Parts: sequence; structure tokens; C-alpha cells
Amino acid sequence: MDPAREEILAKVRASLDRGPDSPAPPVPPMARVGPRSAGSVDAEIALLFSEIENLNGNVRRLAGREDLKSALAKLVKVEAVKKATLWTTADLATWDVAGTLKALGVEIVSPQADKHLVAECELGVTGVDAALPETGSLLLRSSPERPRVVSLLPGVHLAILTRAALRADLHQVFAEAKDAGYCVLVTGPSCTSDIELTLTLGVHGPKSLYVWLLEAG
Amino acid sequence: MSQTTAPIDFRANAQRIPPKMAASVQKATAKFLGNRAALVEALGNDLWQTLRQAGHDLRLHAITHLDHYLEQAERAVTAAGGHVHWAPDAAEANRIVLTIARRHGVKKVVKSKSMATEETGLNHAMEAEGIQVIETDLGEYIVQLLGVGPAHIVVPAFHLSKEEIADLFREKLGVVADAEAERLTQVARVKLREEFLTAGLGISGGNFLIAETGTVVTVTNEGNGRMCTTIPPVHVAIVGIDKVVPDWESLTVLLKLLARSATGQKITCYTSFISGPPRSPSETGPREFHLVLLDNGRSRILGSPETRETLLCIRCGACLNICPVFNTVGGYTYGYPISGPTGMLFASQILGMQAAGGLPFASTLCGACNDICPVKIPITDILLHLRHRVVEGDEQEGAVAPAILRAGAKAGSVALRTPWLYRLGSTMLKWLQAPLARDGWISTLPPPLNRWTMARPFPAFAPDFRGWWRSRGRGRQP
Repeated sequence: MDPAREEILAKVRASLDRGPDSPAPPVPPMARVGPRSAGSVDAEIALLFSEIENLNGNVRRLAGREDLKSALAKLVKVEAVKKATLWTTADLATWDVAGTLKALGVEIVSPQADKHLVAECELGVTGVDAALPETGSLLLRSSPERPRVVSLLPGVHLAILTRAALRADLHQVFAEAKDAGYCVLVTGPSCTSDIELTLTLGVHGPKSLYVWLLEAG
Repeated sequence: MSQTTAPIDFRANAQRIPPKMAASVQKATAKFLGNRAALVEALGNDLWQTLRQAGHDLRLHAITHLDHYLEQAERAVTAAGGHVHWAPDAAEANRIVLTIARRHGVKKVVKSKSMATEETGLNHAMEAEGIQVIETDLGEYIVQLLGVGPAHIVVPAFHLSKEEIADLFREKLGVVADAEAERLTQVARVKLREEFLTAGLGISGGNFLIAETGTVVTVTNEGNGRMCTTIPPVHVAIVGIDKVVPDWESLTVLLKLLARSATGQKITCYTSFISGPPRSPSETGPREFHLVLLDNGRSRILGSPETRETLLCIRCGACLNICPVFNTVGGYTYGYPISGPTGMLFASQILGMQAAGGLPFASTLCGACNDICPVKIPITDILLHLRHRVVEGDEQEGAVAPAILRAGAKAGSVALRTPWLYRLGSTMLKWLQAPLARDGWISTLPPPLNRWTMARPFPAFAPDFRGWWRSRGRGRQP
């Protein structure tokens, strides 16, 4: 029996004229305000991409694995990637992102390694568990195959998604996410306007966000 | 109620603000308000008003069943392997966090922005025990280096120029950088990265606490919130009991309202959902998760039906941005980490009227805050009730207004509603003002009435209306 707990609950109940056996509250007022139906898949993708671009993210549509390989080569060059860390999900393994990067001369660092080593990576590669076109947001879960640091520590975050990730609205995303443990909704690269209200990118999280849609894996 | 706070003298504070504060505030607030307006227009006003009403209703539902939802949250966090602590007041909250820090031999703490911890003075309490506390939100980091508190709950350092920040970094960090936002941000990024990677404890607040799953939600842009709650081996979240939201479905409404109202973004860069520690040993993240539920006067505010909607606040800062008083004096004048209209409500009720009884009067009651509040808090209604509490007292607190003021108000009330006294008074005023009035104006008065005439003249009283009416034959002559 925690006396502080009892004290606070007693005060709350006294303030509300409720007792310990007061009935459970009725179901909260319906919050399903403005649910959204998705448009055509192409329209959704276009919306997702335009929202992300407005937030200074980079978007690409990839036809297949060859496209992915050449896109990775370009990214490694543009962002001067020497070290990378990746999610170890089935999707990324199937697409052999780690293999492609290794072939490009990039050192692969395990995300389970010491955080200082992970922090030295220029690039972090993740999948996307759900994508919200109306705000350009990406839901990333956390699990042994989805270490949180991959999308957080490196200066460049590459998120590869497929059409299957698209969701109509936040209600759908939450219905799936709520029992899944830790997750984060990522919308654009890290930013702030704390200094003279001037927008700057890459404060503590990634400075660059690349979002690629892979059509045929 | 805090017994040890020095009274907040709003008027005196307002005399001491730096000359360019008003201009800085207005530049910042204009930007946020403009961005917000654009997004509200894009959504459509009908939908926006529906969202506001839904937001109000579900927040009111949450706090009027708070005991149920707090217990539900506690069960969920505990089932997920987290630890729940209950803090009846500020001192207890600080003690709980210090105990956790000591148990882990923590020397350095990284903190993401948390108004609750500003309220409890956690940083000072930890530093007094030799623990280094580093604020990691860029604005908070800057004002921490400066040794002051936040000037605005969303952009704590908005009033500082980039030149001042560059000087500050040179002086306090020994780093020379161009006075340019991008460069200065980079300086902070590099400095703070090392702190994130070596801190023994990460402390966060919580924008919301979802009772359904015991989930702490943090709404941020920079990534420091993610860093503080992911990298150090222990994470402590301090969350006011008023932050409870019943379920995820309800949260969708609040997320649609919050960022739009605060900065004019549809959603912030990172919205994190933390439900206890990681679920499996091979999942990266803190090994221990602690949730500290802070009361510190909120349960008492709950007991006052006229003012309990204070607790609906989702800390967006929109009321600060629109308030003409805030736009003139800035946040420091309020003497409390949360400023502006919502700050007046919180400070006066959490600190009590002895300490903060002047704050409910620091308002013109224009009502702009009521219209902009995303959860429809009736701010001016509550301010009026709080003024009533100061002057006449209520069930929560006795009157604190000086006896002479109360007596004067009472006397005035009697004089105005007693016809013969009223007539006597108006006749006397005619005689009293005769030596002082010139061309219809009274330009000087003896003290204490000179407090008016120091700044501007007082209009002379016109001949009394009743006499004038009679002399005109009760309106029969023009």
C-alpha cells in the first residue's frame, strides 16, 4: 500500500465526489472526427510524397531491385556514406540492402553494437510499418529486428516502404499500433525554429530523410 | 500549495522587461498564428470547431473520471514491466527521481523539455546533490546556459538574437561559431550528442498519458525527446495527472489539434509512444522505465467545479500567442514556467492566491484566448472566478485582497445603490472638483489619486444628469 498513491487517489475522488467503488465511466465521447477514406493508391502515394517533400524530405519511386541498387549507389555517393546500420527485418533482408551497401564499400555496423559505434554511422536504413499520406508520416515500430537507434542516431535516415504500408488515417494506424509496444511517428527530418524562429534541420535526429517506395521487391 | 514562494508581482516585473522584448514576442507569435490560421483554413472551420468540441469533451471526461483512468494507466505500465510512482507534491517528485538516480550511481542526466519538472524545480534539486542536468531541447539548452527559465512554453529562447546566442556559446562552451542559425544549431548538435551517449539517466515529461495502454506520448521536433528516452539505460517520465487521455482513439483528436495550434504544423517531426520498457531483452532501449505521476495541487483544482477546466490544457501555447498582454510583456513577467493565459490559471491555483493572486488580474478579459483554445477552456470565466476568489474568497481559499480594498469596494457598492447617498456623493464631487478642473479636465490630483494623473488627465465630472433632466423639463424641451 503506497501512502502517496492512496493520498492522491483519495484527493481526486473527494474532488469528484467519487468513491473507490464508483462505476467505471461510460465509453468516452466518440472521437472519430473526420475519418478519411483513402483515394486511389496512386493518389495516396502522390500525397504522401508531396507532404514529405514539403518538409524537406527526399522521395523516390523505385520500380524494382535494380532500381534500388542504383539508388543506393547514388545515395552513398551524395551523402558520403562510409558506415551504415540497418533494421534486420525480413523485408530488408529480402531486398538485400545490407549486401548492396557492402558491395558499395560501406561498412555495416550492427545496431546492437555500442551506441558510440552506431552514432558514427552516416546512414540508417529502416522499413516502414505504416505510412500516413495526409501528413507524410511514417510509423516505425520497435522490436529486436527494428532497433530504435537506426532511425535516430545516423545523420541520414533512409526509409523503404511498399504499397502495403499505406493507411487511410490516424485511426487505422493507431488501431494497429496501440498494442505493439514502443513506436514513433516520423514526419520529416529533425527540425527546430528555436533560434530566431529560423527553421534549421538536423538538430538531434537525422538531418536528411529519404523515403523510397519499392514497387516490386 | 507552495508556502515558500515569494509573491509574484506582475506589475513590477512588467516594468523590468528589456526594451526589445515586445517586438521579439510579436515577431514569434505572428509567425505561429499565421501558420496556424493557414492550417485551420485548410481543414475548414466546421471541422476545426467539431474537433475543438470533441477535444473539450473527451478531456473533460478524462479529468472527471481521473481516478479510474490513473489506476488503469498504472495497471498497464506495471503489466508492461514499468514502475509507477505517485508524487503528491513537488518535493516528493524530486525525491523520487533523486532516489532512482542515486540507486544507479547517475552523475549526468539528459532532459527533454518538461514544464512539470520546471514546476517542481527538479534541475536545482538534482544539481544540489551533485548531479549534472543537461537540458537538451535547443531553446531550453540556450536558456539553461544563460541561467534563466523559458520565455515561452514552445520556444523558450525566441527572444534572443543569434548574435546573443553565438556570444553565449563562445562564453559558456568555448566554441566560436558564426552568428547564423544553421551553424549554431550544429554546435548544439555536436555538444549534446556526446551528452546523450554518456548520460546515465534520461528524463522526459509527457504530453499525454494514454490510460488504455499506459502509454506516455511525447510530441517533439528535434529528436532530443527520442534521444533522452532511448539512449540512456534508465528513463524517467514525469507526467502531471492532468495529462490523462482515455484511449488511443481520443488521442487522434488531440494530435490533430495540438501541433496546428502550437506552431502551425500538421504534426510535429516525432510523436513517440512509450509503453513501459522494451518488451524483449534483445530490443534496444532503456532497461528501466519509471513513470512519476505528479499531483502538486491538480487534485485540488479538480475540486473546484468553476475552475477545473484549467486542467483541460494541452500546452499548445496558442493562448500565449494571441494574448495582447503576453505580446506586450513576454513570458518572464508571469514569474512561472507556464505563462500567458493558461499560465495565469495554473500559477494562481498551484501556488495559491497569497503568492500569485495578482495574476488573474493581468488580463484585459478580451477573450481572444477563449476562441483560440483548441479544447475550449473558458479561460476568462475562470479568471473572473479567480478574481472573485482573491477579493471575496471561496471554498478553496479565503480572500487575500487587502482589507482596505475590500472595504473600499464594499463602500462603493453601498453608495451606488443607495439613492440619497448617490445624490449626496455627486453633489459633493461637484464642489470638490471645482478648484481642480480646467477646461473640462483634471490634470493633477493629490496622492494616492495621483497614480492616475501621473500618466494622463481625468475628465471633469459633468453637471449631474438628474439636475440637467429636471432643468430641461424632464425631456419636454430639447
